[in-house]
Amino acid sequence: MYSRVKMPLALLALGGIALTSPAAWAASCCGGGSATSLILPKFSQSMLDVSFDMESYNGFWDGDGTYRNDPPGSDLNQYRLNLGYAMRLGSRWQAAVVAPYVWNSNQYAGLSSNTRGLGDMTLGVTYEAFDGIKCVWKVKDWKDLVPATYFGLSLTVPTGISPYDDVVNSFDITGRGFYRLDANVMVDKTVYPWNATLLFSYGKYLSRDVNREYGKYVEPYSKTLGDRMLGTATVGYTLFLDNMDTMTFSLSYSHLQEDAGDIDGRVDFTTEMEKNSVGAILAYSTMSREWVYKLSFIHASPYSGQGQNFPVTDIVTVGVSHVFR
Amino acid sequence: MFSVKLIWRFILMAVLLTSLLTVAGCEGLTDDLTPSGDDERPAVDAGTIGIQVGQQSPDFSMLDTLGNSRGLYDELSRARGVVLYFNMWCPICDAHASHMRAQVMPDFPDVSFFLVDYVTGSVANSRAAQLSNGYAGMEVLVDADQFVFNLYEASMGTTIVIDSAGIVMMNEDYKDGVKLAEVLSTLP
Repeated sequence: MYSRVKMPLALLALGGIALTSPAAWAASCCGGGSATSLILPKFSQSMLDVSFDMESYNGFWDGDGTYRNDPPGSDLNQYRLNLGYAMRLGSRWQAAVVAPYVWNSNQYAGLSSNTRGLGDMTLGVTYEAFDGIKCVWKVKDWKDLVPATYFGLSLTVPTGISPYDDVVNSFDITGRGFYRLDANVMVDKTVYPWNATLLFSYGKYLSRDVNREYGKYVEPYSKTLGDRMLGTATVGYTLFLDNMDTMTFSLSYSHLQEDAGDIDGRVDFTTEMEKNSVGAILAYSTMSREWVYKLSFIHASPYSGQGQNFPVTDIVTVGVSHVFR
Repeated sequence: MFSVKLIWRFILMAVLLTSLLTVAGCEGLTDDLTPSGDDERPAVDAGTIGIQVGQQSPDFSMLDTLGNSRGLYDELSRARGVVLYFNMWCPICDAHASHMRAQVMPDFPDVSFFLVDYVTGSVANSRAAQLSNGYAGMEVLVDADQFVFNLYEASMGTTIVIDSAGIVMMNEDYKDGVKLAEVLSTLP
């Protein structure tokens, strides 16, 4: 259920970047709604971002990586409204907060459920390891090949509704219930009209006590989810329109995996997962680069070997960002 | 390097955003922020009828995916105990069920294990899901109207163990299966 939601590459034209992380654990059976973190363009003061994800489920990969269909007559979807704000803290430092609001819509042949709630919020701080604009039109010198590199830390805060809250059943879930700290590195290079971006993220969950499962109190225990790794490669092409607005087309490939967790010191295999996905992103930016409209489609292939212990989903995202200079 | 004013502005924005969304109707916001490890299980009067550990399970019956009626106490009369796993044919369910099938069931051949399908709504749909998910060799009960699901206040992954006397021995998430094996090893 993770996929990438990428901000428009048009922003890169200003030395800024749009990016990161993935939408979320979407299926209500797995927890949902973690958010997207934001990267503010260079020389901008702040940014507001609003996006809407529509994630539909199409079976899952079992623990052996074999693709399995959903039960007959099922139609499973999750919708997320993501509100984000990023602001500059210093010439090389910025911070962002993203909050998703999640709707779960699960229709089975014998059961129907529609629930909603706040998802897990993300707080992030990013360091830009460069001062000037790293986008060039021509490579005249080796210095023109130096990419824009970002180092970030993000904290996922369990503000969503998790299995450990006072909930009735798994259909209510909008979050995973764990704090997670991610270290993020992003390397971006633009030589117009082409752009390439690599992102790597490594996250560690904080262990927590559990004394309730789906509203029922149980014998307390300690639980941790496994370390999480995300790698994404994106290639984009920017068209400059007559009025100097830009249209950027991008393709991406993502690999996400999470190791086995831990329950009272024992290995918990049930949360170990893997997912591969591809994406297509279209971004339209005004000449001033203050408004960016985006549309993306993230697809996971419903074939064996493309993932493990995870739902197969497609995610359509529409969104808009406004940058304040 | 940083402006203190800017940092406070960011914190204020985060707090405001959280507050707005909380006021918008989000429940259970703080439970996961400060998790509790306190044992808050309610006291149970042993011998009374109910679904808590130590209580006498109410009787029920369901159809299996071959169309046969299966009653709880009929099953208990033929086994050391009954295990019910509430299943919605999802990745976590599959991880649990495949682990139970491979790691737990072989050690307890005189216990009856059932997957309880509470989502597909019919014997035909449940049978199709059973076969497509590779569980032809396990018995699946069809809780078409979620009667047993609601009776046990169950959710995805809830695992119930009932001994041959009808006493509920376990009613919680499967997790890694260790608790299930421990409980089954104590069955009389």
